[in-house]
Amino acid sequence: MSFRELLNQGPFFLDGGMGTLLQAEGLKPGEAPEAWNLTHPEQVTAIHRAYYEAGSHMVAANTFGVHPQRYDLPMCEEMIRAAVACADRARQEANCGHEMFIGLDIGPCGKLLKPLGTLDFEEAVSGFAEVIRIGAACGVDCIFLETMNDGAETRAALLAAKENCDLPVLVSNAYGADGKLMTGGTPESVVAMLEGLGADAVGVNCSLGPDALAPIVERYLAAASVPVLMKPNAGLPQEKDGKTYYNVLPEAFSARIAALVPKGLRIMGGCCGTTPAYISALKAAAGDLVPPALQKKEHTVIASRGTVIELGKDPVVIGERINPTGKKRLRKALEEGDMAYVLNEAISQEEHGAEVLDVNVGTPGVDEPALLCQAVQELQAVTDLPLQLDTADPAAMERALRVYNGKAMINSVNGKQEIMDAVFPLVKKYGGVLVALTLDETGIPDTAEGRLAIARRILKEAEEYGIDRRDILFDTLTMTVSTDRTAARTTLEALKLIREETGCGTVLGVSNVSFGLPEREVLGSAFLTMALERGLSAAIMNPLNSRMMGAMVSFRTLTGRDENCGAYIRFTGELPAMQAVAPAAVAGTAPKETGANGLRRAVVKGLCREAGNLARTALESGEDSLELVKNEIIPALDEVGQGFEAKQIFLPQLMMSAEAAEAAFREIKEKTAGQAEGQAPKGTVVIATVKGDIHDIGKNIVRLLLENYGFEVTDLGKDVAPETVLEAVTRLHAPVCGLSALMTTTVPAMAETVALLHERAPWCRVMVGGAVLTEEYAREIGADGYGRDAMAAVRLVESFIAGNA
Amino acid sequence: MQEGLRLEELGEIPFDEKEILRYAMLPSFASAPEELPLRECLAAAKGAAQCRAVWRRYPLARDGALLDLGFAKTDSRDLIRHLEGCAEILLFACTAGAETDRRIARAKLQSPAKGLLMHAIGAQQVEGGCDLLCRRLAEQFPDRQLTDRYSPGYGDLPLELQRYVMEALDCGRTVGVTLSESLLMTPSKSVTAIIGMKEREEA
Repeated sequence: MSFRELLNQGPFFLDGGMGTLLQAEGLKPGEAPEAWNLTHPEQVTAIHRAYYEAGSHMVAANTFGVHPQRYDLPMCEEMIRAAVACADRARQEANCGHEMFIGLDIGPCGKLLKPLGTLDFEEAVSGFAEVIRIGAACGVDCIFLETMNDGAETRAALLAAKENCDLPVLVSNAYGADGKLMTGGTPESVVAMLEGLGADAVGVNCSLGPDALAPIVERYLAAASVPVLMKPNAGLPQEKDGKTYYNVLPEAFSARIAALVPKGLRIMGGCCGTTPAYISALKAAAGDLVPPALQKKEHTVIASRGTVIELGKDPVVIGERINPTGKKRLRKALEEGDMAYVLNEAISQEEHGAEVLDVNVGTPGVDEPALLCQAVQELQAVTDLPLQLDTADPAAMERALRVYNGKAMINSVNGKQEIMDAVFPLVKKYGGVLVALTLDETGIPDTAEGRLAIARRILKEAEEYGIDRRDILFDTLTMTVSTDRTAARTTLEALKLIREETGCGTVLGVSNVSFGLPEREVLGSAFLTMALERGLSAAIMNPLNSRMMGAMVSFRTLTGRDENCGAYIRFTGELPAMQAVAPAAVAGTAPKETGANGLRRAVVKGLCREAGNLARTALESGEDSLELVKNEIIPALDEVGQGFEAKQIFLPQLMMSAEAAEAAFREIKEKTAGQAEGQAPKGTVVIATVKGDIHDIGKNIVRLLLENYGFEVTDLGKDVAPETVLEAVTRLHAPVCGLSALMTTTVPAMAETVALLHERAPWCRVMVGGAVLTEEYAREIGADGYGRDAMAAVRLVESFIAGNA
Repeated sequence: MQEGLRLEELGEIPFDEKEILRYAMLPSFASAPEELPLRECLAAAKGAAQCRAVWRRYPLARDGALLDLGFAKTDSRDLIRHLEGCAEILLFACTAGAETDRRIARAKLQSPAKGLLMHAIGAQQVEGGCDLLCRRLAEQFPDRQLTDRYSPGYGDLPLELQRYVMEALDCGRTVGVTLSESLLMTPSKSVTAIIGMKEREEA
């Protein structure tokens, strides 16, 4: 029987702990176990052999810690060769009747991936790829990814395995007692992602004993279609007389695991604290059990890092707002690389009930593959909503799919052969739920039957690629009812036909139906209700539109999905805020004082809404915007700034005043937009947190204050390479650059940036700041000025610019 | 898991508004600005922190001018002074977890003031986690007197020691804390420290 067949049949026995046994043989704490492949091959071989003889079908070679992040490549290769040789010798020497395999054992690389950490995704992939290529060349039977406690890193390792060998890949993650990975993944989200990427078995190991891991394994069994594995610790480590021992003995250990076999567990072994005795006991307890046949789960799921959405059960809201079509402000933000705007769109849609976010960044003049990839990574750092990747460019789709942490929704494919040829291989490789549009080379059929015929063709083609029909949703295309009076009817009929015949879920962008008509959401919400009634699985819509969301919430309430009408009542409670389009209409924020003095006071006190309202009222009553800035806002900021310098006012107060000033400036900008009389910027300042440093709270405060004082600020963000700073300073011919570093270890990067700027952009004055810096230190690294705090930075920039003028 | 390591689940630490404002650089005598979005930030932070710690006990030994900490040797005068009279140390790493970093990133996007507050909430969580851990350790070693905690980067104790701390406590596996090239810990709201232990002096 082949390795994969044995896995699918079960019970399949893995080995137990390696580190524990090497320690018993004399491995010192802190000493690398993998070094013993070279220094103590006999001991390593003997342990493998003992596991085979105890009943293990597969042992994991002693390669857990071998990774280019820790060793150079020749050393990696030497250690892996030696490790596999030990396992191979054990296999030849072992005396047992069952089949014996060797797994290449791969643990975490020791660095956390971006955005939480600093390791680049592709760098992680290539590191694992090196190890896997060496292991595969040594003739291992499978790849065993284990003890991974970050979903993104697991993804990188699995992708590396799939791209560099044809061996089966077993993936095992380490969960905390809260049932989550360290970075937030859940059993369901992890299974969705790993199955999408083609893992041959999934499961859990380490961190907990069999009792605590059992509920997590049961969640795996409920979610997974592939075989599930379990490799617990022998309970928790305890100490007695200075000796460590684990508190679950082989009998209890194996009984607990064996109890899961009738529920579907097929692959099992032990982790920390377990020995060949545990594996013998496990074989005795579970060897004769027969797990139920593997069952494919029919649900359609997408996932993010830690959230899973099932499509086809309750209707799902896909937020449509991250799409530049017809949105000038977003288009501008994308052209300028202003990702903060995009991220805020995501957060506001999430706060208004979006469950999935459509992400489309395609606009002329941008590098769409790079931008989509960046957007996906940055979005996933601030929201855990699953994403729908929306692009017509297969290159952009692939780059985004590689880095997407989870199982994405893919928008879209259609019946055109060329498109299917480009998109299906991506879905097969990376996993995902595909939105299929019912159009083809001949256009969009006028009839529901025509669209059904295309759906059939798409399904047939998908099947040839081995893509499961559960992973396809059909979009029967919403057309404008103002140009074709039967358009909506055809769309809805096609929806019903396809749903009934194929059983697949459906999705519609609902907004388009009312294009060109007044009061669009009146029509749009009725159309949404009709589509939902015909079984629509997901609507791509604007969650900030109260009428559209009202239709969705009402449908859920009316179809018995809303216990005690709680969701409906919550929604209506938020309606007044949603309907208040103009900020002026917000209740309770009417200016307490009018006139000039009020604004100054509002800024000093840090009253944001009041400052905004007062500025607007003043402008509406004909006050000159420049006068307002000169006589109200700047004096207020000066008052606060001086108070801060005199230590009478503190950081939170300074910041609130800065935000209040910003609110007033927003009103002024709006008023003067398109007019020449707007405040002319005083000068351009480039700011950044230096390479290797990710602290940016201080830098952000400096930016806000500089903007308040009328400077044009280009903020390059954090962890910025010297060359990137130079590029921006040169491009903008910026007279001033501000650099921030919070750690002693990143000051060298700051010094390097200062030197580079002085050499290549000699016109630019460089100021530095951050917790570890002092006036003296700043001078030492060649900076032109030191900003002790945010106010000092503003004063410095003012003096630099005045000096340059 | 390596021999001798101990894990502690510390969970979410109760919010302490005074402490949080202090971490946001507002001295206790000053009053918070009227519209400071503290309530909003506390609501947004709820449930994010999942404090965890790992610790290990080491004997101390002198090695000429160096102090052998069991996992590394140091010539730090400040630490040597801090550990005077101690025969052992407890080394620990404590983190508020990855979700806290995400909430901070999210708050920073919404406004700098929210960013500052969320960062302060994270600091209060991890520091509160350390306090809770230290109380547990004091209970666990009733016959010992524990010193205050001392972290790499304090005084003349170099930050480079972090590499050895990470290895010794297997931080990536045990609490999900890793170190960047520039010795920055991720998640950012993490603390490592050394506590000295000596025989309790007779009262």
